[in-house]
Amino acid sequence: MTPPAAVLKGVAALSGVTALAGAVALAGAVALLPAATAQARDAVIIGVQLEPPILDPTSSPAAAITEIEYGNVFEGLVQFAADGSPRPALAKSWEIAADGLSYTFHLRANVRFHDGTPFDSATAKFSLDRAMAPDSVNPQKSRLDAIRAVLAPDRLTLRLTLKRRSGGLLQSLAWGAFAMVAPRSAAANAVDPVGTGPFKFLAWRRGDSLTLTRNADYWGVPARLQRATFQFIADPSAAYAALMAGDIDAFSNYPAPESIAQFQADKRFVVFVGSTEGETLLALNNRRPPFDDIRVRRAISYALDRRSIIEGAMYGFGVPIGSHFPPQNPAYVDLTGRYAHDPKKARELLREAGREGFAAVLKLPPPSYARRSGEIVAAQLAAAGIRVRIENLEWAQWLDEVFTRHDFDMSIVSHAEPMDYDIYARDDYYFGYRDADFKALIAALDDAIDDGRRRELLGLIQRKLADDAVNGFLFQYPALDVCDAHLHGIGFGGVLNVIELDKAAFDDASPTPGAAAARPSIAAAAVLLAVCGGALLLFAARRFGPWFVAQRLAVLAATLAAASAIVFVIVQIVPGDPARFMMGLSAEPGAVATLRHQLGLDAAPWLRYLDWLRGLAHADFGMSYTYRIPVGALIAQRLQVSLPLTAYALALSTLCALPLGLLAAARRGRPADLLVTGVTQLGLAVPNFWLGMILAWVFAVTLHWVSAGGFPGWQAGWWAAFKALTLPAVALAMPQAAILARVLRGSLLDTLNEDYVRTARAKGAGDWRILWRHALPNALIPVMTILGMQFSFLLAGGVIIENVFFLPGLGRLVFQAIVQRDLIVVQSVVVMLVFAVVSVSFVVDLSHALIDPRLRTSGSA
Amino acid sequence: MSLPTRNLSFAIGVVITAVFIGAAALSLVWTPYDPAGIDILSKLRPPSAQHWFGTDQLGRDVLSMIMAGGRNSVGVALLSVVIGLGAGVPLGLAAAARGGGVDEFLMRGNDVLFAFPALLLAILITAVFGPGAINAIIAIGIFNIPVFARVTRGSARVLWTRDYCLAAQVAGKGRLRISAEHILPNLAALLAVQGTIQFSLGIIAEAGLSYVGLGAQPPTPSWGRMLNEAQTLTASAPSLAWFPGLAIVLFVLGVNLLGDAAHGAVHEP
Repeated sequence: MTPPAAVLKGVAALSGVTALAGAVALAGAVALLPAATAQARDAVIIGVQLEPPILDPTSSPAAAITEIEYGNVFEGLVQFAADGSPRPALAKSWEIAADGLSYTFHLRANVRFHDGTPFDSATAKFSLDRAMAPDSVNPQKSRLDAIRAVLAPDRLTLRLTLKRRSGGLLQSLAWGAFAMVAPRSAAANAVDPVGTGPFKFLAWRRGDSLTLTRNADYWGVPARLQRATFQFIADPSAAYAALMAGDIDAFSNYPAPESIAQFQADKRFVVFVGSTEGETLLALNNRRPPFDDIRVRRAISYALDRRSIIEGAMYGFGVPIGSHFPPQNPAYVDLTGRYAHDPKKARELLREAGREGFAAVLKLPPPSYARRSGEIVAAQLAAAGIRVRIENLEWAQWLDEVFTRHDFDMSIVSHAEPMDYDIYARDDYYFGYRDADFKALIAALDDAIDDGRRRELLGLIQRKLADDAVNGFLFQYPALDVCDAHLHGIGFGGVLNVIELDKAAFDDASPTPGAAAARPSIAAAAVLLAVCGGALLLFAARRFGPWFVAQRLAVLAATLAAASAIVFVIVQIVPGDPARFMMGLSAEPGAVATLRHQLGLDAAPWLRYLDWLRGLAHADFGMSYTYRIPVGALIAQRLQVSLPLTAYALALSTLCALPLGLLAAARRGRPADLLVTGVTQLGLAVPNFWLGMILAWVFAVTLHWVSAGGFPGWQAGWWAAFKALTLPAVALAMPQAAILARVLRGSLLDTLNEDYVRTARAKGAGDWRILWRHALPNALIPVMTILGMQFSFLLAGGVIIENVFFLPGLGRLVFQAIVQRDLIVVQSVVVMLVFAVVSVSFVVDLSHALIDPRLRTSGSA
Repeated sequence: MSLPTRNLSFAIGVVITAVFIGAAALSLVWTPYDPAGIDILSKLRPPSAQHWFGTDQLGRDVLSMIMAGGRNSVGVALLSVVIGLGAGVPLGLAAAARGGGVDEFLMRGNDVLFAFPALLLAILITAVFGPGAINAIIAIGIFNIPVFARVTRGSARVLWTRDYCLAAQVAGKGRLRISAEHILPNLAALLAVQGTIQFSLGIIAEAGLSYVGLGAQPPTPSWGRMLNEAQTLTASAPSLAWFPGLAIVLFVLGVNLLGDAAHGAVHEP
């Protein structure tokens, strides 16, 4: 083979790696819907921190479900007024019998579910009976324990008879968990929610967004917005960037109090500051010494300086509390003076208890309020002589260690549920407070229906918890919401912390592009992949013989088998229970066990492995635990972002690196070489996420040239999608390009020292000619090796970049799946990556053989 | 690289690396302020005479945190390269020396390992063993193994076809001996370059892990976590994002310049 042919083949093989990825990306994109047209400004995009695990509020306590859907998609018989009292919703009025043992609700007429099913007393009875049934997984079912029977005497009357008086029953019925559902649609609500509210469910792009559309047949005043999209943005900085760049119109529960001041100063935004039902606690393990000693707990309370915690962790947002009760509630008693900050007194109490200078571990969940409060609390406790070691946990670990197994000394967490003081009466609750007097107070409260008496009891409850210093009571979590100044009538917060959209509207009419749901065409992508793979194999078989190909295929299969077994074992050791995590904080053990059974998690591990393998053989990856849709569809959706991004970054990196490397080698030691070496040195040194941060800050936040992140979907048009991927691709590609250029230059210079190059030079060949004809083919071998490595690194290694730019890609899917203990997704993605890497390595080997004939024999030997 | 250039880049590399390692070492005994010392009242101060790099959102001294954070970067990156070299080079040599089934087995085994992207592996490791610096070392180190193995194997296979290797074979030297006496010395320069790259990548990877909360845990300062915390403050306190980022860039740059010069000295005496 003559050298120029080798070069051409080498370059062709080099682009083979990119071509394979690019082709699949193309297939995904081609199969998508045509570009959506611009819409009038009647569509809102709202950022929220957390994605709901499922969409059925009656089977999961996840706050994100209620936040998005309650009052919009689903409605209850009653709802909460701002002060926590019940007000009419689907029940327009009610009467309570004098003995408190019978409740009669008068239901609204002409209410229909989104699928046309009429709402009446029979559907209401169905909803409550379903919530109370023995096999119900309703996360709040114990709140209805007092109900003896649900009766439907006529079409619009619903009567509840009680076993005992239940003072909080009306408020309980306002919980999202007791939303009204219809018999026909209830089972599918997890993925296709059907309610009675002013908005209908339209689409859910997992890991990215959820879209609602207007319900024209709403029983009340229909909504003014045509469409509402909730975009999931967990990262505080991505939230900040998305708002600043105008990608979203509002953010509910904005996670970064430190940048609130900037939004307040900016005329484009309106900021709402309020309070939530979330009491933020320094939880103490009352079961475990020394926290079983009330003097130690009181000492901790004296050691805490709430003002500086709020100032430092929350930038001054949040109201200090002295007990487990929200200050905005009419029954609130201010007990913040009960343990005024006094480190000296704390030390005295510790000395008295014989616990001076004890050591403790503070286990913190992921949210920034907890992590930041933790650092300040640790410093404050240190001032009282308590040695605190901080341990940061993922949510699943926190739920497992702290919440379930009670293996902790101290923790910091916000208890977001309204009216949740009854958790102190639960012996099995994680902080382990057991007190007969307190239980008597809760029982008395349950029995009381008179408002005055209830208020008095609530006061006693607050004092009792403060006296016993059960936990360190820090602050009421603030509600911080940022909103486009042109968007009016949107309601944030409330007792259940919901986003109310029924009255929301824009006062300007400028068009904004809509984010329609994507329809991935998995089949098209699969066919194209198969065609590409087949062509490659045919080519290889013709060139190197069928034996070579058969051998490679056998190796491929063996690798996949080994990998799947290893992955399964590793993933199975990871502690944490997916069922527990999906059900969340306030779920009951019975409900968790039911869910475990439903998901098949109670089967033996090896049975689950065989099940999964059997599925893999049919290209069926199984069902995601969290999202409850096929894993294959989930991965396909994410690949639409990750593959193009990888191909884009790989292309950018190769395009930059090849000329730079060649130039540097050719002009070795001259200014051009020095410049290239300098630039690549710099490129190597810049972390891609930092580059991403800086790029987003310069081009999106400051200059507004491109959006700060997000992916509009391929249906929004090639140009929009391309633009959205540009900054992340540049951030990913630059460090890779620097590596590639360096390796290329280094290996070119190495080959230039070879005898054949010297011979060529002796024969009088020019520098460029030597480089091109003699050095490059050999130098491409290490380049190819590096390029093969970069493919898999880019494909899933972009987790951080995907988070910086909130792209719904593969890396983020894996990250979320691990955090959510969605083991089957982790397994499948990893096995798929193994497949991709082994295939790429196959291509790289082929290209080695193409470039260097000497390797061909040893390669097939 | 010409001699003056090499000397210059060597000098710059030495100075930068020495400054960073010196600052990290100094932080063991002295920093201007306690790097974990929270002082809410003086938070978000711009750079000044008292606080050369300013203070962060909790009032900690940024210079002190960067000094102490350097310890973390050096330790994690260095140990992870040691893991990668120690396991990857023998693997690559063996694969190239034995060829055939052994080669396939080792390299596909490597593929399986390599198919776990570093971050995914780190997340898995931290999920099992809990987050922390040690687990970051293991995660980055394991990721380094296939890198060294592949580079070693790729070039060793070429070297095996060289005349001197063939001659050694004919002379009856064993594969192990040839690998050690003829292949490895010829790979040293390439491995040094790759080692430098992996060390600097280790610094960056450690920063990345800390950035997503999987590296060293608070109150141990780390550059990545500083960047994470600075991200929402870029508009109001940009220095918080610039200083740790520039620290990473400068340190990595210094190490790379040093490595380049050393490579040149070995390779082009």
